[in-house]
Amino acid sequence: MSTVISPPGGGTTVAIHEQPHVPQPKQVGKPGGFLRRTNFLTAVISGIVLAAIFYFVTVAIVNKVTGGGQQDDLSLPDGLQAEIAMMYIGWVIGFMAGIGAFAGPIRWFLGNDLTHADAEYMSGKDMGREKYWKYTTDHKVVGIQYFIVMMVLFGVGGLLAMLIRTELGITWAEVFNPNFYNSLIGTHGIVMIIAMIIAVTGPLGNFIMPLMVGARDMAFPRLNALSIWLLVAAIPPLISNLFMGGIRDGWTVYQPLADQSPVGMIGYQITIIVFAFSTGIASVNLITTIVAMRAKGMTWSRVPIFIYGILGSAIMGLIWFPMYQYSQILALSDRVLQTSFFTPASGGSVWLYENLFWLLGHPEVYVIVLPATAALLELMPVFLRKPLFSYKLAIAGIFGIVGLSAVVWVHHMYMTGWAPASNYPFMLSTELISIPFSFLVLVMLGTMWRGAPWTKLPMMAVYAVIWNKVIGGITGVYLSDTPVDQYMHGSMFVVAHFHFMLMGAGLFGAMAAIAYWFPKMINRYLDERIASIGFWTAFVGFQITFFAMFVAGLQGMPRRVLQFDSLFNVANWVSTIGAYIIGTGMLIFLYAIITSWRGGELAPGNPWGAHTLEAQTETPVPHENFPVLPVVTSDPYDYGVPDPYELADDDAIREAEGVAKVGA
Amino acid sequence: MSTVDERTPEADEPEVPTNRPPGMHLASDWLKRPYVRRILILTVVIAAVIIALTFVMVAFMNMSGGPASDIQAQIEQTMFVLTFASAPLMGFTLAILTYSWWGGWGKVTTETEPTEEGPAIRTNGVAVVTWITVCSLLAAFLVIWGLVALAQITAGSYGSTPVNQQPNATKAIDINVTGQQWLWSFEYPDNGRITSDVLVVPINVPLYFNVTSKDVVHSFWVVEAGVKIDANPGAITNTGFTPNKLGSFNVRCAELCGLHHAYMETKMQVVTQEQFNSWVREQGGVKTS
Repeated sequence: MSTVISPPGGGTTVAIHEQPHVPQPKQVGKPGGFLRRTNFLTAVISGIVLAAIFYFVTVAIVNKVTGGGQQDDLSLPDGLQAEIAMMYIGWVIGFMAGIGAFAGPIRWFLGNDLTHADAEYMSGKDMGREKYWKYTTDHKVVGIQYFIVMMVLFGVGGLLAMLIRTELGITWAEVFNPNFYNSLIGTHGIVMIIAMIIAVTGPLGNFIMPLMVGARDMAFPRLNALSIWLLVAAIPPLISNLFMGGIRDGWTVYQPLADQSPVGMIGYQITIIVFAFSTGIASVNLITTIVAMRAKGMTWSRVPIFIYGILGSAIMGLIWFPMYQYSQILALSDRVLQTSFFTPASGGSVWLYENLFWLLGHPEVYVIVLPATAALLELMPVFLRKPLFSYKLAIAGIFGIVGLSAVVWVHHMYMTGWAPASNYPFMLSTELISIPFSFLVLVMLGTMWRGAPWTKLPMMAVYAVIWNKVIGGITGVYLSDTPVDQYMHGSMFVVAHFHFMLMGAGLFGAMAAIAYWFPKMINRYLDERIASIGFWTAFVGFQITFFAMFVAGLQGMPRRVLQFDSLFNVANWVSTIGAYIIGTGMLIFLYAIITSWRGGELAPGNPWGAHTLEAQTETPVPHENFPVLPVVTSDPYDYGVPDPYELADDDAIREAEGVAKVGA
Repeated sequence: MSTVDERTPEADEPEVPTNRPPGMHLASDWLKRPYVRRILILTVVIAAVIIALTFVMVAFMNMSGGPASDIQAQIEQTMFVLTFASAPLMGFTLAILTYSWWGGWGKVTTETEPTEEGPAIRTNGVAVVTWITVCSLLAAFLVIWGLVALAQITAGSYGSTPVNQQPNATKAIDINVTGQQWLWSFEYPDNGRITSDVLVVPINVPLYFNVTSKDVVHSFWVVEAGVKIDANPGAITNTGFTPNKLGSFNVRCAELCGLHHAYMETKMQVVTQEQFNSWVREQGGVKTS
């Protein structure tokens, strides 16, 4: 549709294209409609009701089929398989229905699509605290929700860690029943893995990333809400396993041992299947937002490095999580439908499971470490007032890791006997991945070079994290080497090594990043003094715990044991003392977060003087982030270079601003 | 010939003033800078500490009586080589980290954000190229050493063909290892199929293990011999070694296998050939041919 206008006085004609009229859906009732009545409470009620319905219907069907000869002892591996599986599925569907996740698609299907007013209601506009308990699409709300869920998961996982170390520290007695102990290590492992995967990309990827690229929200706001609430729905099946016989097989749940586990194992499988959906949806959302919704002028060579870290992590999550999901779908089918993908007695293969598992299992380490590392790269220039050293080398490092992460998984299977000849190429690829990692190390060192750090907690935490990363890196050199791994594999040395990477680099990195962005997210400063005490206490405890664990591993202590040779006693006592120190430090850090959240000092929009976009909008962040969408003219690392507007004026201004002159 | 460069057009604007330091330095000038010297000294100190720690690590590995085979000795040697090769780079990294953390380049401890900006070092071609070259060479060295070492211990353990079919290992003793929840059992097919729950072996004779499992995945680990291989249900995996030290050593399970995984361990007794023969007779078997 266009109108042709002749300008007065003749001359060329100008065609003005009008916006075609798009029919808008009609508003029925108040904005929000059904979603006005849904919240977390209705979701839990609906989840429990549907779980009960699914459970009893399945019981009735199974009794009809088997004639009532069903084994119903929960402690046995073959009791109530289908019933429990259906109960968990009912819980997830019921929970998602009760939170209102299906309202949008159903209304679209009925020809009554969501209106603009509905969408505004869903984004939590002008809503109070209750928006955090609802199916809210605003990325800032989702970020806070992820933050809370992450802290809850770390609390649960940390508590389990304390119980494990208590058992190992009391070398003269069995504190727990071996079955319960085995459930503890499995549940600790998987809870912490899930917590670590969401630790940076959850809160910061959702809250900070859209601000940093200058967008008004994520690309798919409703999918964003879906990803967080799927995660919430996935947690109860996981935790409930402790009361249903437990996951007794470590977080790897190798087959066919997992087949011997009681029905708690089904909780694990359902959790992983649902969590993989949540991660996939979140990854698509993050990737699309980064690729398509960057501010005007933010070319690929002006994107902050943290965004690249999130992008790399999301790409790996999107590609590799389905492998883990397949492995659990097949394992669930082995349990419930009596198939035999992984049961050697009926022709299955344990190596198939191990391959599927580690296809995610290794990239997942980079899914965790990459965003935490990129967050540190992002905050280092701010606290050193220097440009990021060799920005493009950092990008090359990130994508080198993303690429090589696809071809290293077999180093977890050097000693399985699956294909001894494959140990050669996979040793090569595993050691090659140290080259892109070394790029990131050079970027960090070059950024520090000749810079005077501003000694705030986030910056000081960077030093702690790099230390941990170096220790994790050098022990990784031993483990990647097949001959040495022949001694180390399956020992406490491995446990200490991956805690240095996942906790030392991942969790401490996430703590640094949260200390840095806390003022933006919560509008208040994190209490510097208390948080620092907590951080450094935890750091010291961490060194004690895991250096002692390296010693136990070198002496030959296998993983996942609750009683051991008296040779390992001293190392385990030291390790347990260290673990309690970590626990104390983490509680202090948590106390700092809670008190600062409730009554900390109010923070300005740009508390650290950063140049990135998220620091340019005001705090608290307005509903649609920016009054006017920003335009980017340079990368955010132009420290040491005066503002071009100042250059136009004379030297007096320059001196007043404290900007150095040429050659100074 | 004019001294004025006429080909380069005059800049439209005056050069932008920055904190960027001059680009190129001679290596000798660079080494005269005090902070460079301090960092290099720190590098040497830290690298020396890392190398010293390797001796401590290997001492921990040998606390229970190893190495009891050439394979374990080779593993320990490889650990030394890996550490020696990577110590300089690790030392350099930690030296810069320590120097910056210590405030060697200054510190800003104010409550408010710093007013002075650091040197605008965007990148440095020489540093980047040197770093990538050094890291790649190091990685290449580690890979090549690792591949050679792997080939050697493979020849000394499972090999590309079973040890007992290799011409120089005709005297190898076959042992069938079976893992089950939660014990190990050893069968000696060459000695009249006697079975034992303790691994009794003669010194200086190659051993060849056929490892399998009756139920779930176990991992057969002879700790002081440095040999480990998974015991998989429905499959046979192979490993082997030649014990070279008399005494009692540990056999453990290195893969979580259920309730009493922690207790799934036994001993390896390395004895002389005569003692082995008499042990075989006591068990009712036949002497190795």
